[in-house]
Amino acid sequence: MEALRLYVRLIGLSMQARLQYRADFIMGMLNVIALNAVNLGLIGIIVYRFVDLNGWVIWELFFLYCLWLLGHSLYSLFFWHFWELEEYLIQGTFDQFLLRPASPFVQFLGREVQYIGFADMSVAIAGLVLSYTNLHLHWSVTQWLFFPVIVLSGTVIETALTLMTACIAFWTGRSGMAIDLIMEFNVLVQHYPIDIFGLWFRVVVTGIIPVAFMNYYPALMLLGKLDPESPTAWLGFMSPVVALILSLLAAGVWHLALRRYSSSGG
Amino acid sequence: MKIFWSFTRQAFQFISAYRFNFFMEFVLSILRMYGIYWVWRVLYTQKPGAFGVSLDQMVTYGVMGMALELFIWSRPQWYISNQVKSGAIDTDLMKPLDFHFYMLARSVGETMIGVSVLAIPALLVAYLVLHVQLPPDVLTGLIFAISLILGFLLLFHLNFILGSLSVVALDIRHISWAYFSVVRFLGGQIVPLWLFPTAIRAIAEVLPFKGTYFIPISIYIGTITGAEAIRAIEFQLVWVVVLVIVSRMLWGWAYRRLVVQGG
Repeated sequence: MEALRLYVRLIGLSMQARLQYRADFIMGMLNVIALNAVNLGLIGIIVYRFVDLNGWVIWELFFLYCLWLLGHSLYSLFFWHFWELEEYLIQGTFDQFLLRPASPFVQFLGREVQYIGFADMSVAIAGLVLSYTNLHLHWSVTQWLFFPVIVLSGTVIETALTLMTACIAFWTGRSGMAIDLIMEFNVLVQHYPIDIFGLWFRVVVTGIIPVAFMNYYPALMLLGKLDPESPTAWLGFMSPVVALILSLLAAGVWHLALRRYSSSGG
Repeated sequence: MKIFWSFTRQAFQFISAYRFNFFMEFVLSILRMYGIYWVWRVLYTQKPGAFGVSLDQMVTYGVMGMALELFIWSRPQWYISNQVKSGAIDTDLMKPLDFHFYMLARSVGETMIGVSVLAIPALLVAYLVLHVQLPPDVLTGLIFAISLILGFLLLFHLNFILGSLSVVALDIRHISWAYFSVVRFLGGQIVPLWLFPTAIRAIAEVLPFKGTYFIPISIYIGTITGAEAIRAIEFQLVWVVVLVIVSRMLWGWAYRRLVVQGG
């Protein structure tokens, strides 16, 4: 509880710092919206001549994209700076977290908020609403209840994966490119249903870097594409379980990393 | 010539220091090639006629789009923007070299390394695994090479213009995201212009961006040939000249306005 209070306070301070750059904030928002519009436009152009991509019509693809984006938006709001962990380590700024009498993790978390996440969120919500209406979906109560769980699981999956990858920097000094690699898998999974890819890719994004649980498997369930006879149908409900396992793993890696940490002496 | 060589050496030293990063960059390119390969393959199986070209040509287009990213994607805008922010730009300006030419030489050096260390090895893997085609004949290969160099110059100058703006706007990080995606979209990096809806295609046809990816790759896979290829190269050439003039004027203007932060 104490940790949560501290976190909220730190986040408040970071927000105030960010608010000093209002023009930057507006530019950031507009650009993220433009970027997503171009991405969706590309997907649209790819399928408009073909009607569907392996059985996924355009609105289903938008749904897939936006479901990923909604989970990601919370990640980018609160955890974007995991990417910069290596900078904290190299420049020695990480040491100050260890000197203060509070959890280093909470201090690191509270260090930044990335407003740009709001732009991701608006695009995602708009896209999901449009897809829902255009696909004439009628979710059952269970599906509605499951929806926020899926979104939060998505956030946790991405956060835990990035944190674990960022921790590589405790050993090697660098982790930025490894995070980029995880992100590249994310981008492919966000843009295209993984059933178009080869087997090894599907195995990787299901079992090793399980980002397909951010959008693909739950989307099968939410879009009614799940075949109850299929032996893998249960994967559609596994996102929270995957999220739980990953966060436990990430917590373990973080503690291991802290124990092994020796300052750069900066 | 000597100056280009010295920047190539500098870039090489840089990548030897960051070997792991370059290896990852290589893996990323392969992954992107793999992604686009499956997209076109699945779509082709669904509706073979809709591309207007063969599957091999389409896959080659997609893979080349990812490879060219490594070739033409020098980033003088980052360098300029960082130097302006840190104030170190004054040391660049003191060099006995025209700044525009200096940036070009740097980019050429980086590109040489990008090609030999990243693009060619990645294409080799793609050639073996994804059945990418070679150009149909030597002449096409030559025209492609010319078009590729013009494409590099085109994108370099677009980037240089963005970099010059950073002198005034200071932070170009956010604009860059939108800028990158527009260049890739209208440049036809992923989806070739002939698959665009008519209205968007009309816009993309007149803008300089198609000279970066679309024209070189189309020449490579043989959808732009003969007189049409000559016209496409002229199009690139005209835009390069226009952008060189704009770059020089803009940099002259930005230079006068240059405020070194904390200098």
